[in-house]
Amino acid sequence: MLARRSARPSTGLYDLGADDDIGLPVPERYGAVRPPGLNYQMGGCGIAGCINLDGGRISGDVIARMLETMGERENGLGAGYACYGLFPEHRDEYCMQFFFDQEEAKVKVEELLNSMGGISKEERVYTHRVKTMRPPFPLVWRYFFRPKQKLEWRGRTDLSNDDFMVQLAMHVNSDVEGALCVSSGKDMAVFKGNGFSYEISKFYDLGRYSGKMWTSHSRFPTNSPAWWGGAHPLSILDWSVCHNGEVTSYGVNRKFVEMAGYRCSVLTDTEVVAYTWDLLVRKHRLPITAAAFVMAPWYHEDILRLDPESARLATWLRLTYKEALLNGPFSIIVGRREPEVTMIALADRKKLRPLLCGRSLDGKSAYVASEECAVRIVEPGAETWTPNAGSPMIAQVGKGILRTGNEHPFVGGV
Amino acid sequence: MAQQSSSKRRMELDAPERFMLVVDHELCKKCKKCVNECSFRALEFVDGGVKPVGGCVACGRCINVCPAHCLEIRQVPSQFPAHANFNERVRRAIMSQASTGGVLLTSCGTDIGYPVMFDEMLLDAAQVTNPAIDPLREVVETTTFVGGRKGRLEVKENGRLYMEEDPAPMIAMDMPIMIGHISLGSVSYNAQKALFTAARQLNILAGSGEGGLHKDFHPFAPNVVSEIASGRFGVTGDYLKRTAAVEIKIGQGAKPGHGGHLPGEKVSALISQTRMIPLGTDALSPYPHHDIYSIEDLQQLLSVVKESTEYKVPVGVKIAAVHNIGAIASGIVRAGADFITIDGFRGGTGSTPRIIRDHVGLPIEVAISVVDQRLTKEGLRNRVTVFAGGSIRSSADMIKAIALGADAVMVCTAAMVAMGCRVCQQCHRGVCSWGIATQREELVSRLDPDVAATRVVRLFRSWNEELKEILGAMGIDSVESLVGNRDRLRYFGPNSKIAEIMGVKHVGEGWG
Repeated sequence: MLARRSARPSTGLYDLGADDDIGLPVPERYGAVRPPGLNYQMGGCGIAGCINLDGGRISGDVIARMLETMGERENGLGAGYACYGLFPEHRDEYCMQFFFDQEEAKVKVEELLNSMGGISKEERVYTHRVKTMRPPFPLVWRYFFRPKQKLEWRGRTDLSNDDFMVQLAMHVNSDVEGALCVSSGKDMAVFKGNGFSYEISKFYDLGRYSGKMWTSHSRFPTNSPAWWGGAHPLSILDWSVCHNGEVTSYGVNRKFVEMAGYRCSVLTDTEVVAYTWDLLVRKHRLPITAAAFVMAPWYHEDILRLDPESARLATWLRLTYKEALLNGPFSIIVGRREPEVTMIALADRKKLRPLLCGRSLDGKSAYVASEECAVRIVEPGAETWTPNAGSPMIAQVGKGILRTGNEHPFVGGV
Repeated sequence: MAQQSSSKRRMELDAPERFMLVVDHELCKKCKKCVNECSFRALEFVDGGVKPVGGCVACGRCINVCPAHCLEIRQVPSQFPAHANFNERVRRAIMSQASTGGVLLTSCGTDIGYPVMFDEMLLDAAQVTNPAIDPLREVVETTTFVGGRKGRLEVKENGRLYMEEDPAPMIAMDMPIMIGHISLGSVSYNAQKALFTAARQLNILAGSGEGGLHKDFHPFAPNVVSEIASGRFGVTGDYLKRTAAVEIKIGQGAKPGHGGHLPGEKVSALISQTRMIPLGTDALSPYPHHDIYSIEDLQQLLSVVKESTEYKVPVGVKIAAVHNIGAIASGIVRAGADFITIDGFRGGTGSTPRIIRDHVGLPIEVAISVVDQRLTKEGLRNRVTVFAGGSIRSSADMIKAIALGADAVMVCTAAMVAMGCRVCQQCHRGVCSWGIATQREELVSRLDPDVAATRVVRLFRSWNEELKEILGAMGIDSVESLVGNRDRLRYFGPNSKIAEIMGVKHVGEGWG
């Protein structure tokens, strides 16, 4: 019944219809290029995700309905979707999707890709004009890319393919004017832009894709301009992060990833969260639960109540990675493809942002969302629960729900 | 000749008195308590009444002990013809040097009114987009760890998560405060006992200062950071092994490029035993460590100390903030220090040449952010604990120092003030009327270690509560999320260049 978003009663400035109709100045809008002067963006948001635990496919329409239902949580300044397991025929190639503001940027990126490896297929990402959306509309392009056998990146020959891809994406985002790498993982893609969630799903015609897992995000930014690049999900390699909240420790978290060589170009806390997952889990090989503990750790006084071995590990995780503690309110949905498509949902350690999980009656699908309505609209009979503060829910294709987020964390293992 | 003039008979050419004690003779009970308590001998009892005889330093002891409340210290209005350039301070220094012909000694931190950037910065708070946290209702953590870190942790899975062994020695403090290195010698037995007692009650660290650890204080060792300074006074294997951490002191903010200086007046029998030096001799530490003439030498000493303490305690390095502090700090981390203590030029001391105290070094605010930025850029910041000191006067200074990039602050002068110090800058004379910076038994006994310890404990507990209030207001529930979080600071002063160097935005600049 809430599906007709455009008929929703207006509550905010951006819902008043076309802004020039009421004489408001039209704010600048941005595509791939970072808005001038932007050095941090934040806001409230809605997040939703779904995963088929058997590895079956879920249509993009499902995630679109989940996200659009939570219309209260967005104001038209950005929405996006990430899909995993949607290109089985190219599963071993990096799927790189870009926003280009100008043709020159596209030429530059293609030159770069061709010099570093091979493009097996390139295509314009299908987009569909949506009347209510406003320019600019960056060109969205997709390349299936395989790096060279003998890789060299700025004199370095020791980089793994994944490390190289991280460098490549960050290089494009920082140094190639008018180009932004939106996603770069294998068998995954991000569809995002500046608009309401229902506009973005129409813009990309999400129904044409189906995948093993979807994550999504709609924005209610409080002080940042409308920028396609700044919309969620933020992605690096096969990681994607949808994030509702405001990390009050951004300056510290940013230092943490920059010390490990990541270059922040989008300047959102979400970007830093994505890099943090990549660094902790892929590079430092922390188990997901340990990485989640680092970002939303127990209080020291609670750690002292653990058995001595767990307390020792918990304390060392906290102090070794104290710069990775995400302070302030957040709930995040993290997607990953390696080693198998995985969804992680995590809320801050005081649970200052909502997070709800659900499981379909047949047990084949799992859901995560900011609000229960998002689960109910696609699975009215779903079993739902709220994970504990700072305790991750983890679901993996082929393995089911590994963790509900209600377990006693840490003790008793992974 | 100047040497022959007693302190009572002022030479005609000496500078006039700065302070004058005014006695209300109608109220005075003639108990002579003030006369007896004045360790600077500025009062005499003559002709049935108390008379000031010159030499008052405004330590305030007489006022606090006077049962009749009949005393008042007046700052004598300037007796000099006005001159903005040759101001009174300049002329007094000239007169003093003309009278003595020496390097002027002084104590405490500089009293020159240089700009204080702490006072030119404002903190952020949470509004709407994130909730503020009430520390009385929610957990706000201030636990601070001291030690070196590896930057990554090996976690293994074996049905459950585990790690092999502790990566490095680490100390947990209940608050991001360390009582700085105040040596036995510069202060009295009772003063150091009070500071150590406070550190133990607060579960924080306190520095031993140069000169070893008195045997009576061995029970405090788990809260003490021992110091290896250039004089190596009191340094034994036992001393290093016993304490919680070891610090190699290269420099001190009040006297960068200068060694420790304990005037012979303060080298009593007690001090002579602990420092292992002859009675009554000046204890002058060399300017450099004579086994450290370069960074590689420091690396060797760090290795030696780590070997001799069997890698069981963190080993750090203390440096004065000087112009090239960023590169120096980077070198020290690379040399293997587990923690670095940076001491700003406004830092205190028990004795220093005035010329160095007042004119050498770098303000701590700038030093912290430069070091934090440099170490971050080089990927080293998460390997080391950074202490910052050099005039941390209040919890506001502490919070801003942490936001600029320090893990914890080192505080001395504020702790002394809590114990009774009035910052009269006469520590080097060894006649502290409050029993703090003196070795004279009749003066030392004035300081009750338990009372003094309680006052220091109260002071730092209240600072820690204020820290929690500010963290909560910012929507931060653990102090580590403030360390180097310069985004939550704004500069509100006249010099935007300094803000740029500190990496702090100007007031009015938002986030997006």
